[in-house]
Amino acid sequence: MMIPRVAVLSGFGINCETETMAVFEMAGAKADRVHVNRLVNGELNLEDYHIMAVPGGFSFGDHLGSGRLMGNRLRFGLREQVRNFVKSGKPVIGICNGFQVLVKMGLLPGDDDVSLTQTASLALNDSGHYENRWATLEFDSQSHCIWTKGMTRIRVPVRHGEGKFVTADKSLLDDWREAGQLVVKYVDPSSEYPSSSDEVLPYPISPNQSWRNIAGVCDPSGLVFGLMPHPEANHSTWLGATWTREDIEHGEGEGMIIFRNAVNYVTENFDN
Amino acid sequence: MGQVQFFNFQVATRDIEGLTDARGESIKAMLKSDYSILVNSVRVILGYQVKSNISEKEAERAIYDLFADPIIEFGALNQSLIDNKKLFPKSPEIAITVGFKPGVTDNAGQAGLDGLTTIFPEVTEESQVSTTMTYLFWGVPNDVTPRWLASKLHNQMIERASISDRKECLNSNWPKLDFPERPALMEQPSATVNLEVSDEELIEISEKGLLALNLEEMKAIQANYRKPTVRSARKKLGLPENAPTDAELECLAQTWSEHCCHKIFAANIHHVDHETGEDTYIDSLFKTHIMKPTLDIQSEVDWLLSIFHDNSGVIAWNDSWSLCIKAETHNSPSALDPYGGAMTGIVGVNRDILGTGLGARPIANTDVFCFGPPDYSGYLPEGLFHPSRVFRGVHAGVRAGGNESGIPTVNGAIVFDERYLGKPLVYCGTVGIMPRKLPDGRQSHDKTPKPGNIIYMVGGRVGSDGIHGATFSSLELTEDSPSSAVQIGDPITQKKMIDMVLEARDLGLIQVITDNGAGGLSSSVGELAELTGGADLDLAAVPLKQPGLSKWEILVSESQERMTIGINPEDCEAFEKLARLHEVEATAVGKFTDSGAFVVRYGAETVAHLPISFLHDGCPQLQLESEWQEPKHRPIIFPSADAVEMGKILSRLMARPNVASKEWWVRSYDHEVIAQSVIKPFCGVNHDAPGDAAVIAPIQGKTQGAVISNGIVPRYSDIDSYAMAAASIDEALRNAVCVGVDLDLIAGLDNFCWPDPVESAKTPDGRYKLAQLVRANRALDEVCRAYNLPCISGKDSMKNDATLDGEKISVPPTLLFSLIGNHSDVRKAVSSDFKQVGDMIYLVGETHQELGASELAFMLRDESNGESGIGGRVPQIDTSRNLSLYHSLTKAMSNELVSSAHDCSDAGLAAAVAECCFGCDSGADLDISDIFHADINLNDWGALFGESLGRILVSVKPENSKLFEASMEGHECNYLGKVSSNDEITIANSNSPVLAASMSELRDSWKGTLNGGRN
Repeated sequence: MMIPRVAVLSGFGINCETETMAVFEMAGAKADRVHVNRLVNGELNLEDYHIMAVPGGFSFGDHLGSGRLMGNRLRFGLREQVRNFVKSGKPVIGICNGFQVLVKMGLLPGDDDVSLTQTASLALNDSGHYENRWATLEFDSQSHCIWTKGMTRIRVPVRHGEGKFVTADKSLLDDWREAGQLVVKYVDPSSEYPSSSDEVLPYPISPNQSWRNIAGVCDPSGLVFGLMPHPEANHSTWLGATWTREDIEHGEGEGMIIFRNAVNYVTENFDN
Repeated sequence: MGQVQFFNFQVATRDIEGLTDARGESIKAMLKSDYSILVNSVRVILGYQVKSNISEKEAERAIYDLFADPIIEFGALNQSLIDNKKLFPKSPEIAITVGFKPGVTDNAGQAGLDGLTTIFPEVTEESQVSTTMTYLFWGVPNDVTPRWLASKLHNQMIERASISDRKECLNSNWPKLDFPERPALMEQPSATVNLEVSDEELIEISEKGLLALNLEEMKAIQANYRKPTVRSARKKLGLPENAPTDAELECLAQTWSEHCCHKIFAANIHHVDHETGEDTYIDSLFKTHIMKPTLDIQSEVDWLLSIFHDNSGVIAWNDSWSLCIKAETHNSPSALDPYGGAMTGIVGVNRDILGTGLGARPIANTDVFCFGPPDYSGYLPEGLFHPSRVFRGVHAGVRAGGNESGIPTVNGAIVFDERYLGKPLVYCGTVGIMPRKLPDGRQSHDKTPKPGNIIYMVGGRVGSDGIHGATFSSLELTEDSPSSAVQIGDPITQKKMIDMVLEARDLGLIQVITDNGAGGLSSSVGELAELTGGADLDLAAVPLKQPGLSKWEILVSESQERMTIGINPEDCEAFEKLARLHEVEATAVGKFTDSGAFVVRYGAETVAHLPISFLHDGCPQLQLESEWQEPKHRPIIFPSADAVEMGKILSRLMARPNVASKEWWVRSYDHEVIAQSVIKPFCGVNHDAPGDAAVIAPIQGKTQGAVISNGIVPRYSDIDSYAMAAASIDEALRNAVCVGVDLDLIAGLDNFCWPDPVESAKTPDGRYKLAQLVRANRALDEVCRAYNLPCISGKDSMKNDATLDGEKISVPPTLLFSLIGNHSDVRKAVSSDFKQVGDMIYLVGETHQELGASELAFMLRDESNGESGIGGRVPQIDTSRNLSLYHSLTKAMSNELVSSAHDCSDAGLAAAVAECCFGCDSGADLDISDIFHADINLNDWGALFGESLGRILVSVKPENSKLFEASMEGHECNYLGKVSSNDEITIANSNSPVLAASMSELRDSWKGTLNGGRN
């Protein structure tokens, strides 16, 4: 059986690579810690991997806007490698700072040509500061995003100061929704599934006051996916926020399904 | 690319519906929260002053490719955005631009320069980026002056401000700051210091040079240079024969500083106790009361891998992994610049972990702060920041340092007392993890230095920042304290270095490693030189931030983010290649030798030659006097109070800063990065109830855990520092017991922060303060032995006094005890929140009438203007009773009989009940009559608010109650009542109500006090 190979990017203040590698390994893949410069200098090639993950962290200290400088390193230093990777139908995920990187470099929400043109951004939370708290996420069951197949709701932590998803042109939001790109949003856990409202939910249900409660988006192909919350931080039941209050069988956490989806996609679509 | 020219980029938030200028809003919220000042609107413009060889056209491109976000921000090149009427239709009433002073670390500026290089690889070395923030105000109350506003927005020690007042704003006369050019430094030629002078002059040399050496120490140095052997050796080397060079004297001062060599803990102490008639000598508190008990425990266990001699203590956690832990304080720098001081504190202790053994990975931080009261309204001496500002700055520094490094802050505490006004205490602790064996077979906790190893300095460069930090922290704080002692950390440079060092470790490249903290290269190379028997350091090879540093300054500068690493010559190429990959500077600056001397050169010139033995063992032992006399306090006067009034008293206690919820502050620390956090700082149905100890499962997917907890109760020192230390240790252990720690594998850290205990004209009560230290050490010795809890590392900070305006403020003697322990199965960890209505509530442990120096006593004192005292019995420890109870309770937890467990400490049982109810959105219905039989003196006040040690509030499912009670057989275990669905706590004593309180009222008071801003 083929074992998908995952390039988990590292360096310059990325700091969630350990757990990001762990969740892919738990899902049956082989994950490598890949310093961005090893791709830039040609020591390693993205082509040799099936999945690229840009983990969370504080690349370049979030200075000049979160994800901006790392996005530029990829946009200027790895432009064609990244474009070819995406065009060859391989999954990419950006989590938290990784999501910010993908948005700032224009890979998300992205376009069919993978032109790397920025169309959205992640602004400072309305609270004005960084926060670590748990949120409930709801997934668009209609979306073709390969990462979120079959998902409804999960509970995961958010840990960011700049996670408010915004655009310059609000009509884009409708286009993205039609295209199934608005994959995941913050939701009031006491509401019925599915929750249809676009109204910005009160703080802290929406921790950052993101437009339409958007927590994550995918590109038109559904292969590139990014989100502010941290599914990799809920890889095991004992990491939940309220697990000591729940009567549960211990095992895999609610965030794992995302990584399993991608690993399954690769094993189904690639021979090697 | 062309000539170097200046560019001025400005960036502001675009005016888009649904987008706020969150930076401006935060300033508005801070003014309201800290100063009760309401302004209509605040907006912020980010400025980037760029000095570079890029062209005009390239600069245009950089606006949206680098400095401004094209979607949400508006960027401009060489234009003033304040004049942009689209962005700011109405001119501001006050405008203030803040920027760094020349030479101060500007992390955003560095990042900007890096970003410029990414886009334009031909950017040359002389390019620089400097950042500013411009604050625009509308609707400022008339009595608020622009100068006052500016003083709240910047710290004069490190920053500059340019202000446009109301009139200047009317004339569009906007604030302006020049590019912060570093002034050229004048390099001082190497000098010799003549010590053949009078005693007074020796003292003057020490004081003027900020050397913090006393007369005896100066004389010991003088004597060394009189030795014929030394003189003839120096003659051969071409060094001044009979006097030290400036570099030698500086190096000795660093190595012999209180900060580095703990002279007070090593002193010979004459101790007199007027109560017992004891009259003895103690030859080193450290050796007698800290080292000896730990060594005795070490002879009985196999898991103490490395204690005392390394940067942190190391324990075997299992066959594959070891854990290490260290805590440090950064008090003096945090007093001068709360943000930078605290940040360097946290990233500094991270380096202690990285420098342990052959390199450990930092995986968890703990932060414990002691501040003046945030609502302090009394006299504030000139030169001190208000405690709320210290709090905000320290918090922000630790937040940035921890979060940006990707290390979760898993546990902590904040203590308030007026005596921390002069010097805040900023304890930063870090836990690390190492594989027991490296791929090359070496044990990771043992350094393997050899003569011939090449010395590398890795990470940041050396600058004039941070000169004399170690010696300065060994002096008291005065108006003249130097700003060079203050630095701002650079977490990203350090993060890159950590990534690189750990990769080098796993490749087997590292032979020896330590961090550059206090004393800089003089300490790091000097200490490692002791391992091989010598070192040869070339200062000319050391990369500098700016030219012009004197040689001795290069040697002692404490510039941050640096490690000193020893590498085998054949591995140097691989090591340097790895450094280049990670974009980390690594420079060979010398080699370790076995010559018996620490030799410092600058190229061909020898600037210091210090025999290792004199450097490390030459400092004379202090002889100190200690005298204990029990202090007298007025007794507590209890007001008359019915059950409802008792409820109000509880509500007021919950609002005391020491008890109040710290959620707003703690939430902005990342406590879950690394995906290992099992018991988090918050628990309960609404994620807002306080946790006790942290539990982490650091190997993803595995269920073995580590427990991390802290204990700190400085209040008790007012009555007896023995009780204070005992209570701190018990609190740390009790917290760990609450989550189900494995009592067979626990280790501790002692971290003393004391006022100067050396009797002198400035410290007439030195004998008493030293006696307090003696008593605290004796408690540490006795309690740790009894709990089988070895201290594997520790630290002391002994000059926590501030004299300002001629007034001396000394901190209360404070011991922070931190604990790390094993957890056998994190799936059985217990959290503090009550779980379900109907669950049965028990108090385990004996309650005594112990209200002396309690939170209640202090509150009644404050409320009665001092008429009521804090006197009375301070909580006493019974270690054997406690430990056997802890064993039974953790056993019940591993049998899954316990639903919740919460420590009873500050404000006693009543506060603990309230906190457990917060986590369940419940009330509780209790009768406490059974707890009275342990102490005939116990009254309702003592029962409700007393702080007796060894007590834990537990809840149990009704179906488990029989088995639980059986498992607690032989211990004090009293059933109190049930978790109720009411929004009320009711407590009765034999059916007569003693306390009734509304939960929503309690929650409001508990959450209201320290709600730091919006939300």
